[in-house]
Amino acid sequence: MTGVGPLEPGEGTRAWDAPDPADAPVPGPRSWRPPRLPDRHRRTVLAAAALAALLAGSGYLYATRERQPPPPAPPFPAQVVDVSYLDPAVTPAGAPPGSFSFAVLVSVDSGPPVTVTRISQPYAGLSVTSEPRPPFRTEAGSARKIVVTMHVTECGIVPENAGLPFLDVTLRNVRAMQVQSFILGPRYAQALTEGLRGACGNDSR
Amino acid sequence: MRQRSLIAITAALAAGALTLTACGSRDGGDKNGSGSGSGGTTVTIGVDAPLTGDLSAMGLGIKNSADLAAKNANKKNYVKGVTFKIEALDDQAQPSAGQQNATKLVADKNVLGVVGPLNSSVAESMQKVFDDAKLVEVSPANTGPSLTQGPDWQNKKVRQYKSYFRTATTDAIQGPFAAQYVYNDAKKQKVFVIDDKKTYGAGLAATFTEEFKKLGGKVVGTEHINPDTKDFSAVATKVKKSGADVVYYGGEYPQAGPLSKQIKAAGAKIPLVGGDGINDATYGKLAGPDSTGDLATSVGAPVETLPSAKQFVADYKAAGYKDEYSAYGGYSYDSAWAIIEAVKKVVDDNGGKLPSDARAKVTEAMQNVSFDGVTGKVSFDEYGDATNKQLTVYAVKNGAFTPVKSGTFTG
Repeated sequence: MTGVGPLEPGEGTRAWDAPDPADAPVPGPRSWRPPRLPDRHRRTVLAAAALAALLAGSGYLYATRERQPPPPAPPFPAQVVDVSYLDPAVTPAGAPPGSFSFAVLVSVDSGPPVTVTRISQPYAGLSVTSEPRPPFRTEAGSARKIVVTMHVTECGIVPENAGLPFLDVTLRNVRAMQVQSFILGPRYAQALTEGLRGACGNDSR
Repeated sequence: MRQRSLIAITAALAAGALTLTACGSRDGGDKNGSGSGSGGTTVTIGVDAPLTGDLSAMGLGIKNSADLAAKNANKKNYVKGVTFKIEALDDQAQPSAGQQNATKLVADKNVLGVVGPLNSSVAESMQKVFDDAKLVEVSPANTGPSLTQGPDWQNKKVRQYKSYFRTATTDAIQGPFAAQYVYNDAKKQKVFVIDDKKTYGAGLAATFTEEFKKLGGKVVGTEHINPDTKDFSAVATKVKKSGADVVYYGGEYPQAGPLSKQIKAAGAKIPLVGGDGINDATYGKLAGPDSTGDLATSVGAPVETLPSAKQFVADYKAAGYKDEYSAYGGYSYDSAWAIIEAVKKVVDDNGGKLPSDARAKVTEAMQNVSFDGVTGKVSFDEYGDATNKQLTVYAVKNGAFTPVKSGTFTG
């Protein structure tokens, strides 16, 4: 025989039969099996695990959510308040001689309520009161009619005339307190000039 | 049983995750959007301002702020199908250069609006060129009343050009506001009035003077200076001799700074008061330490009282421009944005495309533009003037203008 063929296994050299995989122990953790619990306990454990997983997932998502920008700060009061001239008004009873009155409208466009804490004007020889008296508060989206009364205290020094006089109004809201000059326009200028002339006379200077 | 539990758990987890994810992504859709416009049409916004020379600090602020508006519009894809770009030309504060620039911008068919100029005298040379081409112009800085209301604006207002608009308040209010403050608040009664003979300076000095005299103040001297010189010693001596307790100057900071310094050096320790043209950081450097107490009125409310302006300041800084936005930055941004709003209106009304007569349509749309801008509500009256008329008095403190008092015109 020159041919190479399978040798007959010698004694003691016979290969062992492979063991049945079903009977072999599986290495590692797969070999562990939880102790078998009663169905009632098993459901409780699973529910608790599910709840924990849900809470953990929710917490993670909440912690990594996109943050909303903080709400914008309230506007400065002067940016939302309008003071406009309306018309001449009846001077309140009890006002001293040399007084004259007119009405203005104070309106608040938006934002938190605004309180008017003071109304004044910069002319020498002239004082101002108003009805209602400051402080008074106005809500956003509403307007309030104010009767302003000017009283000439010294005709010799009060300005004779003006093109664009203004009222100084002190405004306060939760953001800030500001003094804003409201230039009420030509109708106010005319009313002021006429009021001053009426109070002082044309040749009283 | 176990399979049913697992399905229920998985479903619960998925539902929770989806709910939270939905909450978290609200308003975040644009975060990763393109920083540039995705449109196929490019619209050019022309800019005309002094980009070189004495007034370049203001001019470069105008250019950069308009550029920022275009970039923000592109980033937001604000007008779908349209990308904005800026074409900035230097007028060197010269009317003749401004007119050449206007002609050049009109020739570029991609230009649908122009921001500028700084100087009222330059605007006078550009208005007709733009109007003939129905090309809209929005100035952030011109305050001369006649540009919108005609030469006889004090007696009869007549609109001059339908294509001209501005976001700045006019000197018809600024001059009297300054006079009221100087006479009543600062208690000054004798003024020496100086101007540079230019449209802006002479006009502002005139409106100041008229109101100051009405109030009872006295004008103890007047002078005109040549803006090409920096030697004002002769005028300073006249101021000293006049006995004035205040100087009013109608003009711009390159001359106002040295003028203030030389008046004080001549022995007249009295404040110099000017308008928005001197309200630049350069003024304090030119006028020196004795300028403390000098005053300037300027258009608008102080930046720190406007939340929208704060965002602009932050964006401007983030954009990395080398130059300050200066006195007209916010107004320039709003001028450019007004053009963007008008283009948007025209595109939206034409099925998402620019019409063939886009310039005329944009000019028409500008009249009704209204938006919350950097400087407040932006819209225009029947003359093309800004409806938002706020002013602020600034005083020099530690070498810089700081706000003292603000006013709102509500007449």
